Amino acid sequence: MIPIKHILFLVSGVSSFIIFYMGLVNYLTAIEQSTGMTLLIFATAVAMGTLLSTVYISKSITKPIEKLAQNMTEFSKINKITNKKPINTNIKEIHELNENFQSMGQKVEKTIAVQKEYVEKLKEIDRKKVEFSSMVSHELKTPLVPILGYVQMLQKQELMGELNKKQLDAVDEIYSSALKLQRLVGDILTTQKLDLGKLEFNQENIDVGELLNYIIKDFNPIANQKNIHLIKDITGNEVIFSDKDRINQVFSNLIKNAIDFVEPERGQITIGARSDKKFIEFFVKDNGVGISEINQKEIFKKFYQIDTSTSRKRNGSGLGLAICKGITEGLGGKIWVESKENVGTTFHFEIPKQVIKVISKNNQ
Amino acid sequence: MSKNSTIKNSKINSNHLNVLIIDDNEQITKMLTTFLELKNHNCIVSNDGKQGLALIQKNKHDVVLLDLAMPEFDGYSVIQALENKDQLKNNKIIVFTASTITQDELDELVNRGVTSYILKPIDIDLLLSKIIESATS
Repeated sequence: MIPIKHILFLVSGVSSFIIFYMGLVNYLTAIEQSTGMTLLIFATAVAMGTLLSTVYISKSITKPIEKLAQNMTEFSKINKITNKKPINTNIKEIHELNENFQSMGQKVEKTIAVQKEYVEKLKEIDRKKVEFSSMVSHELKTPLVPILGYVQMLQKQELMGELNKKQLDAVDEIYSSALKLQRLVGDILTTQKLDLGKLEFNQENIDVGELLNYIIKDFNPIANQKNIHLIKDITGNEVIFSDKDRINQVFSNLIKNAIDFVEPERGQITIGARSDKKFIEFFVKDNGVGISEINQKEIFKKFYQIDTSTSRKRNGSGLGLAICKGITEGLGGKIWVESKENVGTTFHFEIPKQVIKVISKNNQ
Repeated sequence: MSKNSTIKNSKINSNHLNVLIIDDNEQITKMLTTFLELKNHNCIVSNDGKQGLALIQKNKHDVVLLDLAMPEFDGYSVIQALENKDQLKNNKIIVFTASTITQDELDELVNRGVTSYILKPIDIDLLLSKIIESATS
């Protein structure tokens, strides 16, 4: 609002003009008796009054508001008050408006500074978390070196002497437990890195057919042991640009699961790939016990383990599928499952053929 | 020995290698020594990076197994010291570590002149094949 005194000033200014000219009009009327002249003078008086009021309003109201608006626009761009000078005005409201704007701006500036500080602190905590889990993983792996080393020596009976059947079984059990522990340590570290977006991804040209051959060759010994049939299903030659080790890791986790879920002797696991213009879809298909619909929704969560009478022994850490999901998403893709109980399960994961941006590497 | 065997490798008998093991963890060096001696190789052990470096510089070994994570003078310092004296490529160094290390970092070490690497925990068959491969490379 414009203060009353200004309005009074304005009104009295305009009315004194009118009164003065009315007097003049009366005087002239007496002299000239001309109605036309009277009207002309009256109109001039009104026009002059209006002009003076406009100049006054512009100088004391519009200009300071424009200045204030300009300051606000600048503030909204950089969240910082650049002009801290008071605005030149004698209107109290505009003066107050500017003062309030200045103090609000200062508060916003301060809040932003505090937030920045918090973000830095959180980043620091993240760094410490990675450091800590790396340290723990190192400390856990170190004692595994002699454990696994001696166990492997004991298993090679030509090195340390012959063991009887019971002793050899015991040594084999120690070996597989130690391996499990080793895998678990690795999985925990990978999960931690995925959570914090610190998992490293590489990019290279990958011959998909070759990769699948390599994976099958890697798993053939264990599959043969259980009489499980491993099949490759791929058409054509495909070369993609992505992270070979990570794709291999996803396949390994999925195949390990599949081996746990198929019946030895009649088990069949098919691994393959299909591609369109931009994406390649990999899959691991088994004819195992299948996964119930309820479980299908949960299996990609960390530490989730299927626990029903239909599931056979579980070897995993409960991290395998969460890692698969993290890696696939990190490579810009997605993973999903299709399954029918007692018929089989197919895991699909689809990634871009050319990794444009590796999401998880975004760790400033 | 066949006529085709190269002069370079003629001195190296891959059935009886001299292996220097540098690792601060005594249980690990003991296990590795046990294994390699059972395989008829000769082991020299150092549980300290500085001492290990001195041994590398003093005597010729067929292969050096070098732990990367050691207190004070670590494997990286040993590599750096050898590099500074242009001695890195004259030695067959296999680095091993239980630390988290990226493939890029491992490749970088190989580029600098390290012969090979192996990650802990160790598959002893793989270790042995890497030792023989490196010694005769």
